[in-house]
Amino acid sequence: MNNMKDSSDIDFAIRIAGEGGDGVLSAGELFAQAAARTVYHVFTYITYPAEIKGGFSMIQIRIRSGTIHSMGSSVDYLIVFNQEAYDRTIGDLKEGGMLIYDPDEVKIKDDLKTKFYPIPLAKIVMDTVGAKLGKNVVALGALGQLFGIEFGVLEKLIKDRYGDKGSDIIENNLKALKAGYEAGRANKWEQKYNLVADTQAKVHYMLISGNEAVALGALVAGCRFVAGYPITPATPIFETLTNLMPKVGGRAIQLEDEIASLSACIGAAFAGEKAITPTSGPGLQLMGEQLNLASMLEVPLVIVDVQRGGPSTGLPTKTEQSDLKFAIYGTAGEAPRIILAPTSVEDAFYQTIRAFNLAERFQMPVIILTDQSIGYRKATVRMPDLTKIIEVDSSVHSDDISIPSPEKIEIAYRIEANPKELNGYKRYLDTVDGVSPITRPGLEGGQYLSGGLEHDETGKASYLPHIHSQMMKKRFKKLEALGKALEKNPPEYEGPEEAKIGVIGWGSTEGAIHEARLLAEERGILFRHLQPKVLSPLPERQIRNFLSGLKQVIMVEENYTGQFAHFIKAKFGIRPIEIHKCEGVPFTPEEIFNGIEKVERIINEENIARL
Amino acid sequence: MKRTLQDYKSVIEPVWCPGCGDFGVLASLQKALLTLDIPPENIVTVSGIGCSGRLSHFVNTYSLHGTHGRAVPTALGAKTANPDLTVFAVGGDGDGLGIGGGHIAHTARKNVDMTYLLIDNRIYGLTKGQSSPTSPYGQKTKTSPYGVFEDALSAIPIFLAYDVSFIARANGLDSKTLTQILIEAISHKGMSIVYIFSPCRTFPVLDSKGLKAMLQPLPDDHPREDKLKAMEMAYCEQPMYTGIFYQVNKPTLEDRLQSVIKKSWDMGNKGEEFSLQQILHSFA
Repeated sequence: MNNMKDSSDIDFAIRIAGEGGDGVLSAGELFAQAAARTVYHVFTYITYPAEIKGGFSMIQIRIRSGTIHSMGSSVDYLIVFNQEAYDRTIGDLKEGGMLIYDPDEVKIKDDLKTKFYPIPLAKIVMDTVGAKLGKNVVALGALGQLFGIEFGVLEKLIKDRYGDKGSDIIENNLKALKAGYEAGRANKWEQKYNLVADTQAKVHYMLISGNEAVALGALVAGCRFVAGYPITPATPIFETLTNLMPKVGGRAIQLEDEIASLSACIGAAFAGEKAITPTSGPGLQLMGEQLNLASMLEVPLVIVDVQRGGPSTGLPTKTEQSDLKFAIYGTAGEAPRIILAPTSVEDAFYQTIRAFNLAERFQMPVIILTDQSIGYRKATVRMPDLTKIIEVDSSVHSDDISIPSPEKIEIAYRIEANPKELNGYKRYLDTVDGVSPITRPGLEGGQYLSGGLEHDETGKASYLPHIHSQMMKKRFKKLEALGKALEKNPPEYEGPEEAKIGVIGWGSTEGAIHEARLLAEERGILFRHLQPKVLSPLPERQIRNFLSGLKQVIMVEENYTGQFAHFIKAKFGIRPIEIHKCEGVPFTPEEIFNGIEKVERIINEENIARL
Repeated sequence: MKRTLQDYKSVIEPVWCPGCGDFGVLASLQKALLTLDIPPENIVTVSGIGCSGRLSHFVNTYSLHGTHGRAVPTALGAKTANPDLTVFAVGGDGDGLGIGGGHIAHTARKNVDMTYLLIDNRIYGLTKGQSSPTSPYGQKTKTSPYGVFEDALSAIPIFLAYDVSFIARANGLDSKTLTQILIEAISHKGMSIVYIFSPCRTFPVLDSKGLKAMLQPLPDDHPREDKLKAMEMAYCEQPMYTGIFYQVNKPTLEDRLQSVIKKSWDMGNKGEEFSLQQILHSFA
């Protein structure tokens, strides 16, 4: 993949759709893995039902000869296992695209403007292995043949995945794979792309989900404690960490609920460990009181909220960006915390490392807001070079710690009190930036009281007016200090200076907005695009720079009420036009482009500045 | 230099009402720590909300005064992160049997090596006299003006059912016995619960005389490892027994986590710790 000179420019998307239990997702993931072992980049998008069996389920795999920012707006190749899958997805198939379907299950329309190939998936698997299960492997074989993936590559993937399930299972799967491969060949279809394996791909790239990226980022950041409670769609972070944490000598425990999970993280952080808990909106909500406490005790820890459709149980397996307000403001009283919003799978890895650095240096909880669409998406991510990790000590000022990136990963720790100067030690010493040197249990003479009651600099409970006023200010000073530090970073926007339209998004919409910008540019519409990764505190000067000279700001969010827009409107006094999508599925670039085009037409007609 | 009681006292003076049973609990705890000569800096005391929750303010340890009902899982986190620490959770009947009751079962299942002081005054004292899970049937309180109409919770049988590996009940006013029990509880490898009666003077449901009449030590030959016998003694209300009901040895959470770590190293890496680069390459 590092060696791009042999590859022609390609960009296409394949979708496999069927019913939960059909194995649609595992076939798609295996195909994606095979595709990731080429010179190309891979990006998957999954929707799956909340039910254990049954319900519509699909995986989309986009393959491109450069970085992929979104799932794309339409599909070039579609494989459907049943009628519902056909009905629900045929509209997304491009004109001139290709449909593969099971003729015993699906009745297609007569006037299709695409090529179509019937492959009796169910019949083939019944004829070959005498079972109903395995249609997905037949489909994988056919797809593999269509895209010129060597049979041996697929064979190895099947063996790796089903290796521990017994030789019968492996043998049946290989038979089904072979039958699928032959069925593909029999079609004599036009083979447009050749996905030949590249030996270097495995050295330079990982194929990971956003959830896995968070788990790996935590380990690289030095986190060795995870406590959690299963909740869709954050569970894969917890599962990955329960698997990996012991391997690096860390501790992973499942607790009885989210309250206990965050409590345990507070205890672990108090004892000196870097701790994380993964959750989703309903879990974050339960954590409210402990989030408050973490802020009040000034313990560093990281919470990941993989957002899903709400409110209440809502849409557990679907995506939404609707926990932002709770993350920023939720909990009793006013308790500072930092909010990060990774924009892609790769970014989720680096922002997680950053979250730990910020938590440690500013001694407060950091909430990482991802969502189901990032969490469950898989993408090729450059293999981080861990020899480039630099552990920075307290002599490096927090402002000077770089944002973790493939070029440089700095790992920071909390600023500790000098063990020789503990006489009269004040745990909550009111300093210039509000950050007080900390001690950890085991250090003689460093004992202190840390409490959820308002307290003075020593930690002693106090209800005096001037103490409350001083300590509120002390805790919020840390947030202000971070806000100022953020101004030093390179601006987080792209697009031409002369553009009169500015688009602001956050989190997982980055890729779709980026591609919408390129689409718009092709059609002569220019806009600037801002996607801040730290949502609170915001680098206010940078954002004012972004806003200056714009005639209209558009805010793009996957929620109903426009939560980030509320925040931006209150802070900067602007009147953006808001584009919301609240359907449980992410924006496509085209949807965003259409919205922006409409706005462009309106402001051209009105020709008035609305800022 | 030899430690003294003073080493276990913080600079903060207790704020409890005069005559509060919690003074006795605090003094007994400090005596037990001194007897065991545990360095104060190696102690973490996590407490919940309520009068008893204030105890963490008055001991010279790494003290964490947290939220209502969450002392136990918070203490679990501290112990898990640093197994060398001596960890306490402290809370009252509301904290431990009301709002936070759900945590005990799961901490017991893990057998976290910590000592939980559950201090029962049978009333919500800090909020000035509302009924608690252990307020007796018929007791008039501010939220039961016509008398409590629920049955009081009997905690020891619950802890036995949870298989907490060390279970004791004590009279907080009997400092000598309580200190002895605490010494055994702290020395126990695993989760120990010491359930302590501590009368509230301001909203009295228990008093010194009543406790004396109600309580009686377990027979000297009570077999600690016999759960059914312990259950029988725990259900007995006249007299209500004090002492160590139950004690068994089983792996602590740390033992269990160490065996998980070992398994993970044996399974994939010939008994060696994985490097981060190895982990990342497994995702290629």
